[in-house]
Amino acid sequence: MRNTTPHTARARLWANFRSEWLSINTLMGYAFVLPLLLWLAATILYPLLVSIQISVQNIKFIGTPGEYVGLDNYQRVLSSPYFHAALKNSAIWVVANALVQTVLAFAAALILKQQFVGNRIARIWIILSWVVPTVVVVIIWRWLLSASGGIVNYSLQALGIIDKPMGFFSTGNTAFISVILINSWRWFPFNAVILLAALQRIPAELYEAAAVDGANVVQKFRFITLPSLQPVLFVMGLIGTLLSFNVFDVIWLLTGGGPSRATTTLPVLIYDTAFKKYRLSQAAAMSVLTGIILLVFAALFIRFLSPASEDSDER
Amino acid sequence: MLLRVRRNMPLALSVLVLMVVVLAPFYWIFSSSIKEPQEIIARRPTLFPQSFTLQHYDKLLNHSQFPTYLRNSLIVAVGTMVITVVLSTLAAYGLYRLRFPGRQVLFRVILVTYAFPGVLLLVPLYNMMSKLGLVDRLLALVIVDVTLAAPFAVWMLQAFFRTIPQELEEAAALDGATRLGIIVRILLPLAAPGVAAIAIFAFITSWTEYIFSSILIVSEANRTVPVGLAGIIGQYQVDWGLLLAGASVTALPVLVLFGLVGRNFVEGLTAGAVR
Repeated sequence: MRNTTPHTARARLWANFRSEWLSINTLMGYAFVLPLLLWLAATILYPLLVSIQISVQNIKFIGTPGEYVGLDNYQRVLSSPYFHAALKNSAIWVVANALVQTVLAFAAALILKQQFVGNRIARIWIILSWVVPTVVVVIIWRWLLSASGGIVNYSLQALGIIDKPMGFFSTGNTAFISVILINSWRWFPFNAVILLAALQRIPAELYEAAAVDGANVVQKFRFITLPSLQPVLFVMGLIGTLLSFNVFDVIWLLTGGGPSRATTTLPVLIYDTAFKKYRLSQAAAMSVLTGIILLVFAALFIRFLSPASEDSDER
Repeated sequence: MLLRVRRNMPLALSVLVLMVVVLAPFYWIFSSSIKEPQEIIARRPTLFPQSFTLQHYDKLLNHSQFPTYLRNSLIVAVGTMVITVVLSTLAAYGLYRLRFPGRQVLFRVILVTYAFPGVLLLVPLYNMMSKLGLVDRLLALVIVDVTLAAPFAVWMLQAFFRTIPQELEEAAALDGATRLGIIVRILLPLAAPGVAAIAIFAFITSWTEYIFSSILIVSEANRTVPVGLAGIIGQYQVDWGLLLAGASVTALPVLVLFGLVGRNFVEGLTAGAVR
């Protein structure tokens, strides 16, 4: 290629470009994807730019005009103890949910993988808690945990663990733990179903070969199951963390972020600041900062935890 | 035989525990919703209703705003479903049936939007909707719900579109079918289970959505079910009978849809994740 003239090289590039990018298939491809892309650009990309614009003004109520105030809102947010507390709560929220859900999801997936009468039906209906509206989940658990007529308080009393009904949402710690467990109850079946599908993809021969070599259960899990699941665990870890970070309604409808802000995660703080305290610009600054934090998280996650084989099995 | 049962005991027990953990709460709210008020808050909860009444359902459906909420939610959910199905089916056809440069990048972009935390859009979307005069309009909710549902819907369609042999399309093209004709007459019927799955997914996403509905809708007359029910929770004196009946009625459409296409739904859900 070294002795081709620049002219022919350019002609070849152009020809390649034309045959690849201006081919009817390419144009058609983009034409089919375009409506969705435009929709998403208008409802995600453009709003993101708008939130940056709002964050450097001093708008309080929606609809009222604001003036340019530079980075004032960012300064205020970054020095606010409420923001720091919410950031910490969000971190606890994400980690605790990940731990609880992973354990429960693995257990459920291993159970569902077995052969038993009705397992096909069980594998579908298990995700019921994930498909019903959050508000139903909230009513269910408020009712189960209610101090008057609630089955949980009654059972704990009957078992002699407590001697009078307890308010699960009345102290900071119990409220936070309750909300985490309720959210995990809602999400673990979804993760279980995905893990189950991944488990079923692992060839049985691998386990048979390992058995011939005398591997025990732990070794099989460590050297066959875990490595095979790595790509799925990676996707679940990344997307699951972002989705779990984003959870708002379970917390808001169960505790309103309380008692005394104990369950105020960043989404709750943003909502409260914008639509209850009417400090719109400040909430926009929080959103932008939160976006940056999540972006850094995602970049680090991909950089350090991305499975090595990911690129090789690219189509 | 006895040996088999004994060996299966741990399995049977764990299946039982799992199903009780997941499903018993649903039984509990439904069974409580048909109890007399005194029985609902009795000190000693009853596993099986000792009394039977439909008074909570009567109050919910005839003496509260709930039917209005139901109608609004239904309008938004059906609108979301239709637009999501059209946009994602088109995109999925482009992404999975045509080969062109940049396809992989587009696919990733769409996936990223699924993981994108919607809470970051609260402030700017409210701002946008208020400028467009869409605050307190159901259309605003349809617009947002499509954004929440469509990216994942494209992902779910992957499994269903990939399995259709390319030769079918080629043969139809040789017979002089147009591109649109191929999509409508060949691909859609073959991918019908997938399309049904994403339609249900879009419906459920919209039916469930709380956060945007709670800020974009202002008037009682335009509230959707989740926000309306949440309003009942927030009242000073909790009317458990009414709430439990409300939760049961809200869960019902989801249960019916899920019963119809739950299998396809779970298949689509998992196929994308473990390709």
